[in-house]
Amino acid sequence: MGLGLLASRVLRPQTNPRNLLLLRSIVTKPELQSPEASAAAAAPDPTSDLPPRTPVAGARVHFPNPDDAIEVFVDGYPVKIPKGMTVLQACEVAGVDIPRFCYHSRLSIAGNCRMCLVEVEKSPKPVASCAMPALPGMKIKTDTPVAKKAREGVMEFLLMNHPLDCPICDQGGECDLQDQSMAFGSDRGRFTEMKRSVVDKNLGPLVKTVMTRCIQCTRCVRFATEIAGVQDLGMLGRGSGEEIGTYVEKLMTSELSGNVIDICPVGALTSKPFAFKARNWELKGTESIDVTDAVGSNIRIDSRGPEVMRVVPRLNEDINEEWISDKTRFFYDGLKRQRLNDPMIRGADGLFKAVSWRDALAVVAEVIHQVKPEEIVGVAGKLSDAESMMALKDFLNKMGSNNVWCEGNGPTPNADLRSEYIMNTSISGLENADVFLLVGTQPRVEAAMVNARICKTVRASNAKVGYIGPPTDFNYDCEHLGTGPQTLVEIAEGRHPFFSTILNAKSPAIIVGAGIFERTDKDAIFSTVEAIAKKGNVVRPDWNGFNVLLLNAAQAAALDLGLVPESGNSLESAKFVYLMGSDDVNLDKLPKDAFVVYQGHHGDHGVYHANVILPAAAFTEKEGTYENTEGCAQQTLPAVPTVGDARDDWKIVRALSEVAGVRLPYDTIGAVRSRIRNVAPNLLNLDEREPATFGASLKPEGTQNVSSTPFKAAIENFYMTDPVTKASKIMAQCSALLLKK
Amino acid sequence: MARSLYRVWNHGRYLGTLSRPFSATTDALVETQVKPGEIGMVSGIPDEHLRRRVVIYSPARTATQQGSGKVGRWKINFMSTQKWENPLMGWTSTGDPYANVGDAALGFDSEEAAKSFAERHGWEYVVRKHHTPLLKVKSYADNFKFKGFPKTEGK
Repeated sequence: MGLGLLASRVLRPQTNPRNLLLLRSIVTKPELQSPEASAAAAAPDPTSDLPPRTPVAGARVHFPNPDDAIEVFVDGYPVKIPKGMTVLQACEVAGVDIPRFCYHSRLSIAGNCRMCLVEVEKSPKPVASCAMPALPGMKIKTDTPVAKKAREGVMEFLLMNHPLDCPICDQGGECDLQDQSMAFGSDRGRFTEMKRSVVDKNLGPLVKTVMTRCIQCTRCVRFATEIAGVQDLGMLGRGSGEEIGTYVEKLMTSELSGNVIDICPVGALTSKPFAFKARNWELKGTESIDVTDAVGSNIRIDSRGPEVMRVVPRLNEDINEEWISDKTRFFYDGLKRQRLNDPMIRGADGLFKAVSWRDALAVVAEVIHQVKPEEIVGVAGKLSDAESMMALKDFLNKMGSNNVWCEGNGPTPNADLRSEYIMNTSISGLENADVFLLVGTQPRVEAAMVNARICKTVRASNAKVGYIGPPTDFNYDCEHLGTGPQTLVEIAEGRHPFFSTILNAKSPAIIVGAGIFERTDKDAIFSTVEAIAKKGNVVRPDWNGFNVLLLNAAQAAALDLGLVPESGNSLESAKFVYLMGSDDVNLDKLPKDAFVVYQGHHGDHGVYHANVILPAAAFTEKEGTYENTEGCAQQTLPAVPTVGDARDDWKIVRALSEVAGVRLPYDTIGAVRSRIRNVAPNLLNLDEREPATFGASLKPEGTQNVSSTPFKAAIENFYMTDPVTKASKIMAQCSALLLKK
Repeated sequence: MARSLYRVWNHGRYLGTLSRPFSATTDALVETQVKPGEIGMVSGIPDEHLRRRVVIYSPARTATQQGSGKVGRWKINFMSTQKWENPLMGWTSTGDPYANVGDAALGFDSEEAAKSFAERHGWEYVVRKHHTPLLKVKSYADNFKFKGFPKTEGK
């Protein structure tokens, strides 16, 4: 603008319109055309020519009460926000990203880093926007020299004691301090004294600490207290002696501890297994889904070449917000160990010999034709995707057998009513509950993200939690009602004091654990729970508080696809067993002469019994549909190449069907999905939760009686639940150090 | 720069008819609508790459950083993970020319732009839902709210 404007001003006395036209620059156009008019409109409406702004990161704004909206001006742009929001949030709604270190949208406000200073009209000093409530008509200025100078001052103080070790820091390249010092930092320091140094803390096998880098934002302290629900971390000392620590040396015993790596704005807390392994700009990110539990957390798999380097969470407000459990984050080294990479056949000497796919499939096809159809059994594993389970069921049905099930669903799964096996409240819906009754489930080890929601609800609204099951530790206040189904019966009959708690609650939620599926009196327990639900008004048109918390990623999809065995004890008379990644199925009663095919990616328990091994791809290497415990179908995407000669699960079954002479009618993954569309169309409705249509009221009355056996813990070791996590060295360290197993 | 641009425009005005092609009307483009897959066919791309399955998605914010400058862009994932081994030297690389294109080269401002690009190249695409954060009212005063009587340790 400078030169053009100057030139035009110099030339203004000239009245020759031709000259004027030639020298006019675009910026001075209205002034030159009618100088008097522009003088009259001294303060033109600044909003008219501003482009429409969208909230930062496309955020949606939650208005608790639409009448309570106020208007503030951010850099002259008017925005409507709900009453009570902070200045920083108002700026976010206006599309202005305010630099910050201590503020985090999911933690309480601390207001101690002072990086978010902005100028507010009629305020004598810059204002810390994260802690200041926005008032109607407030004029906020975010890019004025005052705000910039204030932030530069804060940055200079922060950098005073921050080491200059970005080249050896794992946060380098994805560091908030590094980025913001590019915008607000000085090119030289005025601090000539020694920088302070702090002794590193040992927080366990997952989190590496370099405490000298800490800028005391206290995000990790707030995360541990508020989200993880453990009082492990705190702030010690004052002034330059201030440091984050555990006071007495102890490890951080939380199943969510890995998230402090993400929320740390500097490199003070970084990932121990990932330390010095890679730089973030070398990594390829693939947005995928976690399958280590039934929550289906959204993750990004960062890979370099053929190797998964790390797993980080991805935002999904309905499922995992932006956290993931430690198992999800650190199991990835298990993908490199104990992999099956060639088809193998067990010889007469009991040793496996690697063979070609052609030979392996021919052997399996020959054996499957020699047994009677009712002696064929198929078991899908915990990590199976919907496509491969569909193919397995279709193949075995074509062979004449209907003994297909998914492990974890028990001997007699009930797939008739979808509301009987999914979480009807939805994970985010749990936040509205005011009373929880946990029946035989320990959400903290079964589904850490669901537990984080319950913890959040308990913190926010003082919701009451009652628990029936073996003694265990919760990270929120919980009333231990009993250990066995007797307590449940007492509540159902109204003899227990907790019954009145449910009765008085506005929106009670009952969560039944999937460990109950394995019990023989499962139907009786479910009808008892339904009796409580009916009497306590738990299922209403506007609120469905009946939930089942599943354990494995494959369970919900398996029941949707109808993987229900014809008889509960078909394994006892089986001659041909097809294990599709199934390692935890009890094969003790299997006849000795049974032929076992193991299709999977890890050498675990299933392989010990196998006669033929067919190597398959892990979930990081294939495209697969998984349905989580709340009934939301999501898909994984391939991030790394398959190992060795392994193939996708559904392709192996499809190839085997051709060799066995019963060709399955699909050749592409699209065709498999159109087959799924005929069986369970909800599995193709991605990223949308599909609620159950019918309630449990349609179920016929059961005649079974509850047994007095107390509930058992469904998962013994949180860190090792499936073949991938069992092969992981980091998970083994965690079990040894944190669980003392 | 404004001056030089202006001169070009001014010359064009005097030349009259010549300025036509520079006018803002886009009739010429509207008449030749690009049919699906046509751009791919005329660009000399090998046939096997004209029928690909791609995923259109908007990358989520990096969990480790709070800045949102890069959020809201749209990308294409070619789902290319297959490796190819050089038979002579045994070096491993990708055999797929698109292997690094999606991550590094293709970025779009909107979902529609990404979709129309995929359509013009004849790719079969799926669009993944873009998850956005939900802003809820937060207040500093909540830190000092009465949250019930403190509980004694050990109960």
